[in-house]
Parts: sequence; C-alpha cells; structure tokens
Amino acid sequence: MKKSDFLVELEDILQREESCNETDNLEDYEEWDSLSKMSIMAYYDKKFNIKLSLKDFKDLVTVNDLIALAGDKIQ
Amino acid sequence: MITFNKGQIYIVTGASSGIGEATALLLNELGATVVAIARNIEKLANMKANCKYPENMHIEIKDLTDDIEGLPKYVKELKEKYGKFSGMAYCAGISQIKPIQVVEFDDIKSVFDINYYAPIFMTKGFVDRRCNIGKGASVVAIASAGAIGCDPGMTSYAGSKGALISSMQSISREVVKQGIRVNCVSPTLIKTGMAGEIEMEYADGKYPLGIGEPDDVANMIVYLLSDKAKWLTSHNYVIDCGAII
Repeated sequence: MKKSDFLVELEDILQREESCNETDNLEDYEEWDSLSKMSIMAYYDKKFNIKLSLKDFKDLVTVNDLIALAGDKIQ
Repeated sequence: MITFNKGQIYIVTGASSGIGEATALLLNELGATVVAIARNIEKLANMKANCKYPENMHIEIKDLTDDIEGLPKYVKELKEKYGKFSGMAYCAGISQIKPIQVVEFDDIKSVFDINYYAPIFMTKGFVDRRCNIGKGASVVAIASAGAIGCDPGMTSYAGSKGALISSMQSISREVVKQGIRVNCVSPTLIKTGMAGEIEMEYADGKYPLGIGEPDDVANMIVYLLSDKAKWLTSHNYVIDCGAII
C-alpha cells in the first residue's frame, strides 16, 4: 500500500475531519485513544496480516512510526 | 418542557408508520429538523403532509437492508446533504411469529437484517465523529420488551432485539467519551400496523392500562433524544405498562 493511501485510511479509522500527515504527532490527535489503537490493531490484522499488541504502541510518536510497524507493506 | 430548534437535525428510520412516524411528527412539532427515512414514498409523503413544519421535515426513500455494510457511507452522505446530526431514532423493524419447529435460517436472517444489522451499521455511521455534533448527540434504538419477557414463537424477533440491546450498550461505552448517549427503548405490544392478529390475541387482558399507542413510545424516545436526558446513557428503557417486567 502507498503511504498516501494509508494516510487516507488512517483519517477514516480515526474519523478525523482533517487529513493525516506522516510527521503528525499521534498524541496531538484528539481521536488517539485506546479504542482507536484497537481499531488500528484490527486494521493491521485484516489488511496486512500483522498482529500488533498494545506494547507496540508504547513508543510510537509520529504517524511515520505507526507506518513503520507495517514494515514493507506500506511504502 | 422539551423543545428543539431547527438546527438540531435528527434521523428517524421507519418514519412512515407506527412508532417511527409518531417520533418524526413529535420531533418536528417540537421544532427539530427531521430526516425521515422509510421505504414507502406514499406513506412518507402522507406523514409529511400531517407534520407541523413541512419545511423542517425531509424525506428519504431507502430500504436499509439493500446494502447494510454501506449504511455508514449512507449516513455520511446524509450528513453532507443536511449537516451534522444531533440524534437518531432507529425505529425500522419487522416482527415475526414462528414456532421453532418451522423457523428456517432465512427467517432469522431477514429479521436480523432489519432489526439488528441495519441499526448497528446505521449507528456505526452516526457515531463517526464527522457525522454528529459530538457532546449532546443521542441515539435511541427501538428494541422490545419481548427480548426480556419472551412469548412463544419469538425466536428470531426476540433474538434480534436482545442482541441489539447488548450491542447498543457496548457501543454506548465506546462513544460516551465523545459525549454521545446511546439508549434502547423496549416497548411491549403497541397498536401499529406491525401488530398482527396473533399478537393482539396474546395481548387481550394483559395490559392494565390498555394496549399502548405509538405516542406512548415516541414521547420516551424524544425525551431520550433531548438534552433533558443529558445524564442518561447505556440503558434499555422498558415501556410495558407493568405487564412484563
């Protein structure tokens, strides 16, 4: 998946009125909470067959860090 | 006194008859803008002809079971057309009385499609932050007292409503942080087109205050949609004239 496509999907998962950018700080998103993390986990599992755990989210800072969790599946 | 203003926009499904019609008419009478959804254009047009403020009553023809997974997108399209929603009353539904011996899978599926899957996916669309006003938004789904005190022959119907009550409670806890309230109203038999001959026979003598009218339920729904109910969420309110619970 292209990064640009993922950013649109992320906007939808988080139900954001504004677009998401690679360098955005996740903690700045009002929508970034435990439920949205669960939604991301479900999305990664279904879309990329990647099973994340909550500890994977612990050190995330930016959207780019989230993208990195998908390895080469988001380019 | 409960009042609304026309900037408060409410979705009402099943708005062409029974409880949905009574809810749409009452919301409109109290000043809200209503997006009234149903399948039957003649009945919807008739409902609109009877409303107090036709300029605040918008009708949308839609069979909610046509594309259930597409319902969140449908809600989004409605939001683009009308603006962010203050609430939704999900009143569409069907009844079915069939003893378990003759219940087929398709019977259960057809009941679950409109009584369970459609309200879940409409709610999924509604609670999307981009579709509602946030704090103060309210969802009310019509379940049934039959989900709690079940009569015979209600395998599909009672199951669908029981599932709806449980799911709505879970959803309510997901969205409470956004200030969205989610409740169910569970009426017993109400005098509507949905109440068939067998139901009416069951009901004979069962209700000390007589059989309920659509307005008896609509009043509760509108209260739950209003800011007067700002502290109420995550519950199922039984309206049964004391007959079942």
